[in-house]
Amino acid sequence: MNKWQVVLCSVLFGLPSSVLAEHEGLIAISALTGDQLASYQRTGIGLYRYDNDHDGTRLSQAMLSSRLELDRDWSMHSTVNVHADPSTTIGFSQAYLQYQPLTESRYKLAIKAGGFYPKMSLENPQSGWMSPYNYTNSAINSWLGEEIRTFGVEASIKRPGRQFRSEHSFEGVAAVFKGNDPAGTLLSWRGFALHDRQTTFNERIDFSVPASFSHSQLTKQADYVQPFEEVDGRFGYYVGAHWDYQKRSQFRIYYYDNNGDPSAINTRTGQYAWDTRFLSAAWLYKFTKQTRIIMQLLDGKTAMGKNRGVNNSFYSHFVMLSHKLDQHRLTIRYDYFKVSDHDDWMFDPNQSRGDALTASWRYQLSTQWQVGAEYSVLSSDAQNRPSMGFNERNSQQQLMLSAHWRF
Amino acid sequence: MIRIILLLLTFSPTLMAQKIQVVDQNSQPVANAVVWLKGHSQSPSTEASYTMSQENRAFSPHVLVVPKGANVEFPNLDSIMHHVYSFSKAKHFELKLYRDKPEKPVRFEQTGVVELGCNIHDWMLGYIVVVDSPSFAQTDEQGFVDLDLPEGTFELAIWHDRLSDISEPEITSFNSKNSVLRYQLKQALLPALELSSDEFDDYE
Repeated sequence: MNKWQVVLCSVLFGLPSSVLAEHEGLIAISALTGDQLASYQRTGIGLYRYDNDHDGTRLSQAMLSSRLELDRDWSMHSTVNVHADPSTTIGFSQAYLQYQPLTESRYKLAIKAGGFYPKMSLENPQSGWMSPYNYTNSAINSWLGEEIRTFGVEASIKRPGRQFRSEHSFEGVAAVFKGNDPAGTLLSWRGFALHDRQTTFNERIDFSVPASFSHSQLTKQADYVQPFEEVDGRFGYYVGAHWDYQKRSQFRIYYYDNNGDPSAINTRTGQYAWDTRFLSAAWLYKFTKQTRIIMQLLDGKTAMGKNRGVNNSFYSHFVMLSHKLDQHRLTIRYDYFKVSDHDDWMFDPNQSRGDALTASWRYQLSTQWQVGAEYSVLSSDAQNRPSMGFNERNSQQQLMLSAHWRF
Repeated sequence: MIRIILLLLTFSPTLMAQKIQVVDQNSQPVANAVVWLKGHSQSPSTEASYTMSQENRAFSPHVLVVPKGANVEFPNLDSIMHHVYSFSKAKHFELKLYRDKPEKPVRFEQTGVVELGCNIHDWMLGYIVVVDSPSFAQTDEQGFVDLDLPEGTFELAIWHDRLSDISEPEITSFNSKNSVLRYQLKQALLPALELSSDEFDDYE
């Protein structure tokens, strides 16, 4: 636990008892059949969270999401996650202060400061950035969950339809942040993956080391990523816009730029600053109260090294259809993902692509208990796999039964 | 005190139950319009208890009519917290984040329209119409309302949350001799604000 986490804990637990608090917890246990390819979580090249050697009954989620009202306008939000894989860890995935003054103005201002997600996803609306749809997140939001987090200040201004007696609501969002410099590392050397494993603050993710790491140009790069680290001392930013129609159609568009200086490196941790920028557009449409479609598209670029020795573009989209029938929710999602290599380091191929189909059934037994099942198949290829002794192209599958307890 | 009330009752004109229909500019019945008798000397009773709940992230009922001086409870039937407020001229108040039920009901002493909001859930919208009348009600699906009305000429106030100007009711004069009491709104009704919010819209 570092210095600021200690400060945060003392704030969280040292508050007077009169402070209003709202907590929501989740424990999810899953029975799994994983694929034979070792998971990326175990420094393999498999793109699912679990594999044949690490399946059976697993703790897939354990989190506590809290909201504390400090006074009328200020609140403190946090999510603590316990993960059992790849090793047992506890950490914050979000912790921020929010200022949301109640004013007579019809426009609503909110400011967040701390560590949090940019609100790009319409797939992860539940507390703790969980998804009520599939158990395994889309390729886009798997990546946002592992390599993207804002450590900074975000200001948003809403024009709620109700205040203007309009069916349209609008919101503008802008943020500046530090950190998040190594974002793009996993996309370049592993590619997109499909999972629900969010990275907590200060965590590192190991990955399978391609043969190119033995070349002099890449010897300073560690065989892991600490995605939220500050490397170049520069500020990054993002801007976003939301448009809601009757809450029935919800559209969000974001442009993110970590403003990384690709020549900067922290030689102690082996982390480069990657110049990573992307556009995310997400749309949710409710055909009826029961049936909805969610789509998201991600299109970006990332580069590292003094002369942009690694220079890639990445793209992904998904289309999800979800239907609620009484206490049952059925969801099917198609993902497509691709990383293209644009540099002249021929010894370090970063090209990868793949697609996946994920189908889930979730059944709400009571307000606290939910059970369900999910089957996912994917096929992917990555040009650096042969250098690690694997086929360039692989097909994988994962079957999961899951029980969720919310408290 | 009782004597004074009896005295007042003696001099008050007798009220008789009558049916009134409210229709829009296309002569279609208007449901959920608020109708009350204006300028009646009898003071409204404030003893009844009134409730404006928050249920499934919405105000329930959407529109509540209360007599001037009424106490209104604001129970929160959801498992999440709400932060109810109003900046309306008729009542400025705020119920800081709470679950279950606030300690005290809110007293509405000024007539007018009170627009309710929730600081956490932007789309929540509700109204409390505070009237200075013992005789008030809301129209049913066919636009009908049953009111206790005096004999002779009297004034009725009609209000709906989809009027283009919700700050004031429309006023009309009636004579009880008319066999059919029917009122056509002068203003066109705005389209209903349909907000199909659900449990996943909470965390935005």
